[in-house]
Amino acid sequence: MRFPYTVAMAKVMAIFLLLVGALAITVATDKSLPEADLVYIQPQDIFTLDPQAMRYNQDLRMSYAIYETLVRWNNEVATFDITPAAAARWEVSDDGLVYTFHLRPEARWSNGDPVTARDFQYAWQRALMPDSVADYSGLFFVIKGAQAFFDWRTEAMDTYASRPAEERTPEAAQAFRDETNRRFQESVGIRVADTYTLEVTLERPTAFFLDLCAFGPFSPVHEATVERFLQVTPETGRLDQSKAWTKPWNLVCNGPYTVEQWQFKRGMLLRRNPMYWDQDAIVSDTIRTLPIQDGNTSILAYETGAADWHSDVTVKYIADMLAEKDAGQRSNIHALSTFGTYFWSFNCKPRLADGRTNPFHDAGVRRAFALAVNKKAIVDNVKRSGEKVADVLIPVGSIGGFESPIGLPFNPERARQELANAGWEDRDGNGIPENEAGDEFPVVEMLCSTGSYHEDVAMVMGRMFTETLGIPTRIDAKESKIYKDDLKQKDYMMARGGWFGDYGDPTTFLDLHRTGDGNNDRGYSDPTFDAMLERAADEVDTRARLKILEEAERYTMEESVPVVPIWQYNYYYMFEPPLDAEGNPRPGGLVGISRHPRLVQYLWKLGVLKEGDEVRVTDMGVFAQ
Amino acid sequence: MIGLIVRRLIQLPIILIVIYTITFMLSWALPGEALLNDEGRRPPQSVIDQMNRQYDLDNPYRFYGNYLYNVTGLHWAVASVRGTARPDYIFDFGPSFKHDDWSVNELIGSSLPVSIVLGLSAIIIALVLGLTTGIIGALKPNSLADLVTLLVALVGISLPSFVIGTALLMLFPLFLGIGGVASWGKLTDVFLPAFTLSLPFAAYIARLSRMSMIDVLSMEYIRTAKAKGLPGYRVILKHALKVAFLPVLSYIGPAAAFAMTGSFVIEMVFNIPGIGQHFVDAVRNKDLFVIMGVTLIFSAMLVLFNLVVDVLYRWVDPRIA
Repeated sequence: MRFPYTVAMAKVMAIFLLLVGALAITVATDKSLPEADLVYIQPQDIFTLDPQAMRYNQDLRMSYAIYETLVRWNNEVATFDITPAAAARWEVSDDGLVYTFHLRPEARWSNGDPVTARDFQYAWQRALMPDSVADYSGLFFVIKGAQAFFDWRTEAMDTYASRPAEERTPEAAQAFRDETNRRFQESVGIRVADTYTLEVTLERPTAFFLDLCAFGPFSPVHEATVERFLQVTPETGRLDQSKAWTKPWNLVCNGPYTVEQWQFKRGMLLRRNPMYWDQDAIVSDTIRTLPIQDGNTSILAYETGAADWHSDVTVKYIADMLAEKDAGQRSNIHALSTFGTYFWSFNCKPRLADGRTNPFHDAGVRRAFALAVNKKAIVDNVKRSGEKVADVLIPVGSIGGFESPIGLPFNPERARQELANAGWEDRDGNGIPENEAGDEFPVVEMLCSTGSYHEDVAMVMGRMFTETLGIPTRIDAKESKIYKDDLKQKDYMMARGGWFGDYGDPTTFLDLHRTGDGNNDRGYSDPTFDAMLERAADEVDTRARLKILEEAERYTMEESVPVVPIWQYNYYYMFEPPLDAEGNPRPGGLVGISRHPRLVQYLWKLGVLKEGDEVRVTDMGVFAQ
Repeated sequence: MIGLIVRRLIQLPIILIVIYTITFMLSWALPGEALLNDEGRRPPQSVIDQMNRQYDLDNPYRFYGNYLYNVTGLHWAVASVRGTARPDYIFDFGPSFKHDDWSVNELIGSSLPVSIVLGLSAIIIALVLGLTTGIIGALKPNSLADLVTLLVALVGISLPSFVIGTALLMLFPLFLGIGGVASWGKLTDVFLPAFTLSLPFAAYIARLSRMSMIDVLSMEYIRTAKAKGLPGYRVILKHALKVAFLPVLSYIGPAAAFAMTGSFVIEMVFNIPGIGQHFVDAVRNKDLFVIMGVTLIFSAMLVLFNLVVDVLYRWVDPRIA
């Protein structure tokens, strides 16, 4: 047969045209999100709108916009006071154990239902159910009976699952659920006193409980909506939550905004919630998120005017952008100190993972190393982006009424002295110190994750140890999941670390050093320190309690030193400044950004200034009038 | 032809189960914990244990079995027969650990069409670009025009796409104000990324078509056609091109598959919500259901794609059957 070229070419063209047509139709029918009054860039898409499951910064920020917690923070002032929100007022019992919240009767869900005490009780129970626990569930354990309830339910689920198959009927599962709810009502200190009164009893006085109540995972949820997407699995007795309840067309909110649209990795559109009780507080009617993972692209997008606020600039040339700002060529990059500290950890265990004796078990050695770090040189020459040097773990001035100690600033003379006092001296003249038995100080392995500035920091810090103390170092850079694993296994000598506080209390940092704490990657265990935390926990007087915690911070930063703080983390925002050189409102500028280190940004306060708008200037930022 | 289709479709599930088993073993062995925010607060151990239990992460055998039960549609079928609550999808690929609010079905459903649009647009641009430059080069070998196209082709192959992509973004949206950065959903949004993605393919097609065109042009029948007094363009388009096009046609199949899935860098630079990101992010996050979902879908696509290409070949050239 002769190959029919012309027919074949016609067929190829037909396929080709069909493809082009299909593509054109696909693209043409794909609707993108509409324009909004305010657009902001974040590196990741929102992960979840289920407040009890939230664990990432951008999700929590979203929770504040679509849910209203009992109380909120005043992010416009340095003291970061607790202010009324869903609760109009509250009382605390004299022993600090019972909190009574009086809810606003005028507050409404976006479907018109009143916001009741039961909505909070229901939401908080979700956080305590093993069926749906998440990262922050542990914070609810400060409530009386909460942990006991969680443990009971965990065990009861095992018992249920071990019953013979024919006994695990839908009726049995429902009975199990009813029993769980009854037990929760009876044993956990979250009580609905009446429709608008919530009474919370704590295990022990918890000075920061109100701060927790302002935190995203403590948001209420609309019970009827969540229940529609919940079913009991007869085989396991487990409650299975379908995530469909957070879809924009199902979700019911009680915050300033409702979610109108959400396209995966393309953004979310928020619209003013007409049922929200405090309409005057809302500055922008519509807000759109623009998730852009790549740092360069996100800056290009900002520069072309695609967004009004870039909430997390991470590119390597931040230093150059800040230099441009100093030279007066750029005004839209902003460095903000945060509620977090970059540090390096010491492995404090008596032995290293491979069985060798660990020189860092000795606090004297740890002090020597901490004193040998010239933090200013690292911040100025390696990080180069304007961070504040940190000599203590808890960022200075971030918690009202808490006086930070001095810590151990760079002091090479004292560093050598501390090392000698710990018994390490160069006895054979080769430059490397030996102990009394004549064993050389081992090469210090510095563990860090790859792909960021950590390796550079390790290199410079290692050289400081060699120059000041004569101790050789080696960098051990690993892929981040492996680095994390090594950290958990305490398979390192020194390792990079960092910590952001979750709530406004020193314990959000100090708990890191508690014996056996899940975040204590250092294996640090010190009865003196643990006793201080216990004493603070039992102290009802706020002032006296802070004093104890100040002493605990001083003890760990100046004496026992499980970590060497290096700098206070910065966040970098891009937005047009709201004030001109004379301090007058500048049309096109962004208002509502808080510079408080907690960096809680309430989306409803954000807005772009128009001609003639008035502003309010506070010690933490510029806000809409 | 029917026999071919039936045979391939019977092979498909067997191939998928083997791939699932291998992927499962590899991804289960990934270091780290799937559910936790690496940089965040570590919850109490009892909480972590229960989080893992929600997804059978405490027991590999149960995980392996339950996933198969859900993904094959068995769960749905059993629930339908018994009249109990059915899962959300017939073929349920499970939840994503990281993107909690999205099922893997939704993730793939939203990102796969984007990648297909991007990949196919790139191939179309590559064809137009590659064939044109290839023919120009072949008509006057070693001329200035040929050298220029060779140079462009070299640049297309050797410059990484994040460089070209960023340069294009700076040139068009930023300085000239044409098009947008990081937007997707308009016809104009497709062009820059598709163009960037097409360059290596275009370069290859250009070299391929130039070579075969030069071969064809030196053949006797072309000389005959010219001698008959046919105009130059007719000789080239009607007689030479259709022969020179054949090697290109066989290259398009694998190229299209690659363009649709290998666009991770392009997706990053142009911020396109395609499927390429999941291949990288899911492994980095140990997001097991997503890893398995995209691997299975990609494998199925490859098998089906090859089948479609084979069928089309037979349709275009009946002699092969």
